[in-house]
Order: sequence, then structure tokens, then C-alpha cells
Amino acid sequence: MRATFCGARRVLSMANMTDLSVQLGPLSLRNPILSASGTYGHGLEMCHFTPPARIGGLVSKTVTPNPRHGNAAPRIAETEAGLLNSLGLENKGVEHYLAHTLPDMAGVDTVVFTNIGGESVDEFIAMARRLGERDEIDAFEVNLSCPNVQGGRLPFGTDPANAARVIEGIKAATTKPVFAKLSPNVSRIADMALAVEAAGADGITAVNTLLGMAVDWRTRKPGLATVQGGYSGPGVKPVALRCAWECARSVSIPVIGCGGISSAEDVLEFLVAGCTAVQLGTACFADPALPGRMVDELTRLLDDAGVARVRDLIGTVQDGTSRTCASNASDAKAQTDAEVVGRP
Amino acid sequence: MPAPPTDARTLRAEVVRVEPCGDDGVILVVRPEHDLAAIRASRFFMLKRDDRVSPLIPRPFSIYRQRDGLLEFLIKVMGRGTRALAESRPGQALILTGPLGNGWPTIDGGGAPWVFLAGGVGCAPFPMAIEQALAGMDGKAPARPEDITFLFGAATKGLLYDLDAYTEQGIRVLAATDDGSQGFHGNVLQLLDGLWERGELPRDVRLLACGPDPMLEAVERLAHANDLACWLSLETLMGCGVGICNGCPVDTRPDGPLGEWPNAKCCVEGPVFSTEAIALG
Repeated sequence: MRATFCGARRVLSMANMTDLSVQLGPLSLRNPILSASGTYGHGLEMCHFTPPARIGGLVSKTVTPNPRHGNAAPRIAETEAGLLNSLGLENKGVEHYLAHTLPDMAGVDTVVFTNIGGESVDEFIAMARRLGERDEIDAFEVNLSCPNVQGGRLPFGTDPANAARVIEGIKAATTKPVFAKLSPNVSRIADMALAVEAAGADGITAVNTLLGMAVDWRTRKPGLATVQGGYSGPGVKPVALRCAWECARSVSIPVIGCGGISSAEDVLEFLVAGCTAVQLGTACFADPALPGRMVDELTRLLDDAGVARVRDLIGTVQDGTSRTCASNASDAKAQTDAEVVGRP
Repeated sequence: MPAPPTDARTLRAEVVRVEPCGDDGVILVVRPEHDLAAIRASRFFMLKRDDRVSPLIPRPFSIYRQRDGLLEFLIKVMGRGTRALAESRPGQALILTGPLGNGWPTIDGGGAPWVFLAGGVGCAPFPMAIEQALAGMDGKAPARPEDITFLFGAATKGLLYDLDAYTEQGIRVLAATDDGSQGFHGNVLQLLDGLWERGELPRDVRLLACGPDPMLEAVERLAHANDLACWLSLETLMGCGVGICNGCPVDTRPDGPLGEWPNAKCCVEGPVFSTEAIALG
């Protein structure tokens, strides 16, 4: 039902004057707007709010080897400028994803990322092997950084050597592009970025949620059943922007910005800071139709500013360094490269 | 993953008026940017003001009434989100997502009588339930007014929101308050017990209930103990209302109709659940 209703339907962007396409490593995206893992379903659940053909790509909720029932409630707590969550990667496991979610994704007119999780290097590798042959998947995003499992210890999100082992193993197990999703809960995110780049990652997503906590002093109860959780929303944007900028200036693989983005202005800030694309997360909870609407807003903003190609903005922040974003430099060539993966 | 209903959309709306209701509530009347088809009672919308001042996350509200192209929501002021909505002025822009959720089951006539149990602001999904039941739902025989007993309980009389509206519909309406300030002195379950004991209601009834958790847990126990058909409209924390945030889990019964998965999403699999499907207490 979903595939026929929402599938390969091409919706042209409203103006078509502004070129929103970007080259994300080996992936050609029609625009830089992606959904963030865990905030827009596993597959096509949200297609009535935003047809997949409107956006650059869909990123699945994290899929794990075995079913995970998730954490106890309360799992979410709103704060002054954002949202805490501790969902615990609830999902029905990779076999269910293969049998029930992926078949609906065949022919979907956008780039499909499957976000994978695991509790050991071997589990990550097994996930890449199990899913690596499926044509519905264009790329993997590797969740190195969920703060709500394994007691929030972030074993792969805070240790460059561990992260590198995961990425190296996955790269050896699949030919699909691999993006490493990093945690902001580190002192030097550039070390993590360099480690996953050296391990062969095709790109980086920066960043996952910040560890946070809420408490009601009257009842003495924490806002989340797990006490601490991941903080997202507008409050984290400056932190995420800095992390993404630091990653982008440290590596030559493309960076996807993520964290607190809720307007087209935010999108362009991340691009200027060096990101090639962005992901929308918590903002979609308040307005599930936001990703599609943001594409229109982006076009309008760029039209008003007289920017013909959004990719010309990538990495143009005047931060005192002189550099050329690798993904930007290779962009012109890649646009004409018949072998690129993806569906512009 | 269960998907949101296919008729749900995000739309803009404008506040038409805000009417005080009870000690701490308002009825928020809004005009959506376009007309909506008739909405089943106990479906809901996620609401927030379209500004950068209000809380980030929208709040879920049952549809209270739908008439003349307007939507009405009963809002009890409990915190930042509800206060922002209650303090809206005519002309204020809102973002609505909906209609969401499943709504009440078919409330038909001819079978066992219906007892609707409301606790405080849990009355919100009932005005339209009564209206739709009397008009006939899903092609089934309409309920007659004498088929429906509405038991409305609250802590005090000022929290029996809009009580008069129910008496206009010709059904039996009885109120209960914890402090005895109006109607029966006690709660709705004690009120129901009294009706049974005095033979004023058959033992075999069908129950719909909406209210605070302890009340719903008691209704669940009552339904199981007496083998009664019973549906509960639940209120949980919700981050999105459309099934993507996973923030509204409800424990399911291992042998129930929802299958083996230990929790259901209140927003897309509910908010109305049969007591055969979930385990509250």
C-alpha cells in the first residue's frame, strides 16, 4: 500500500530556478535536506506529510541485530529549548526490517540510508553483511553514538580506536557508502572524525544528541525513567554547528550536519560551516510536514539572496582558514559522472 | 512501524475565540485553513502556537466538538504548553497536526447499554461520542438516549467541565465529586456500583472511559473482574503524535490482539485501546 501510494512519484521543486543539488561523496542528492535517524520513521510512514521525492534522503531509525523493546516510560521530557529522549533504540530487529520495511522502499524516489546499531564490533559488521546486498539501501549510517544504550557509556562514540574498528570492519563487509554518526559528548570531535576517515568512512554525520537530564525538584523525580538521555532541539544547535564545523575543517570526506536545525536559515548556516547536507530531527515532531516545506523555504531564501547553486555556499564560512571543501571541489565533476550512486 | 492515519495533515489554523470553562480550563475554538471531513470522536490533534515563544513540542488534545467548519478543544491549563494555548487571542496562528489516532469503537444501539466514564478533563472525547452514537456510527443502528449513561466525576464541581452540555442530549447524566460539592460524593466507579446495587442499570454493560491513570486502572480491573467489553482512551506524554518519536509506549497484554510486542504506541495504535489489548495496572 505504502509503496504504491508514496513510491516513485517525482515532485518538482516550486521554482526550479535555484539548484539545490549537492554531491555527498558518492551520493547525488536532489537537495541537502535529509531526515535524521529516529525522527522520521523506519521507512515510508511519513510519506503523507512529506513525499520522499521532495527531499534529499531518508535515514531510517536505527536497526539492530535483535529486537529491542526500548526503555521504560517516561522516555521523553521537554525542556526550555529542546527535548530529552531515552527511547533505547526500540525496533523489531534486522530480520523484521528486511522482511517488512525494506520491500516497501523499493523504487522510492530518494536516497535511502539505513542506520545500523550494534553492541560490539562484530554485531556492526554482521549488520552490514546482512543488509549489504539489498538494493533498496543506498548507504549506511553507522550509529556510533546513541547515548541511551549500554548505560550511556558510548563505547564507540568516545574512543577513536573503537570507532575506527567498527568502520573498518563495516567497510570490509560492504561496498555501500558508509557514514559514521558521531557523538558531541567528546572533548575533541576532530579526533573521532579523523579516526573514522582513516578507517574508510565515506562521510560523517555530526552530531547525535548531547547527554542531558531533567528533574522535578518538587517530586524529586527525573524527567526520564533512565534519568539521563539525549538532548536535542534548538538548544543544541550552536553545539552541533561547532562540532560539524570542526569535523568539516578536519577531514576531506563530506559532513552531514545535524542538531537543532528547525529553519531554512539553520540549514544554510550548517552548509556555510562546511556541511554538504543536513538532517532534520526534533523539529519534525512539531511539524511533520517540515522537511518538504523547508525545501521550498530554502529555494526562496537562495532566490532572495541571488545564490544560484546551494553547493556554492558549502564551507564558505570566514573562519580565518583558507581551504576548499573536498566535496565541493569534486562536485562539478561528480555531477556529470554517470557512475554516481543515487537519484538526483 | 505503524504509520499515522492517511487523513492526517499538518495545517495552519486561526484562533476564533477562547471561552473559559470550569475552574482551570478553556474551550479553544479554531478555524483550520481548510474544512475537514467529519472526525471520529476520541481522535486527536497535536496543537501548538505558530510562534517562536511557545514550547517546542505540540500537545495532544481530543477533538471536543466540530461544527460550522470550526474545531473546538477543551484545554485544562496544566503547564507551559497548555497555558500558551489557553492564553491565545483571536487571530493567533496555530499549527495543527491531525486528525490522529483511532477514535472510539462503533457505539451502536440494540446491544448491552453503554456506560461512559469521564474523569475531569477526560470528558473531552465524550460530547462527540454521544452525538455520533445517537446519529449512528459505521452503518450500525444508532444508540437511543436511554442506551447511554454518562458518569462524570471530578475532584470538585468546578472541574465538571461544561456539564450542562451533556444533559441537553437526553441521555442519563450523573455527576460525582470527590469533595461532594456536586452530585454523588465519591468517584464514578462508586457511582456505577450504586446504580448496579439499586438495579438501576443492568450488570452487562459496555464501558468507555477516559480520565486520570488511577481511574483507568480501576476501570480496567472492573472490566476484567466482570468480563465487560471496555475501551479506554489514554493520555500519555507524546512528542509527535504521528508514531515517529516512540515516546508514548503503552504496555500490551502478551496474549492480546496487538501481538507479542510488549508495548504499543499510544498515538498511532490508540489512543483508544480495548482492555483486552493493554495492561495498565
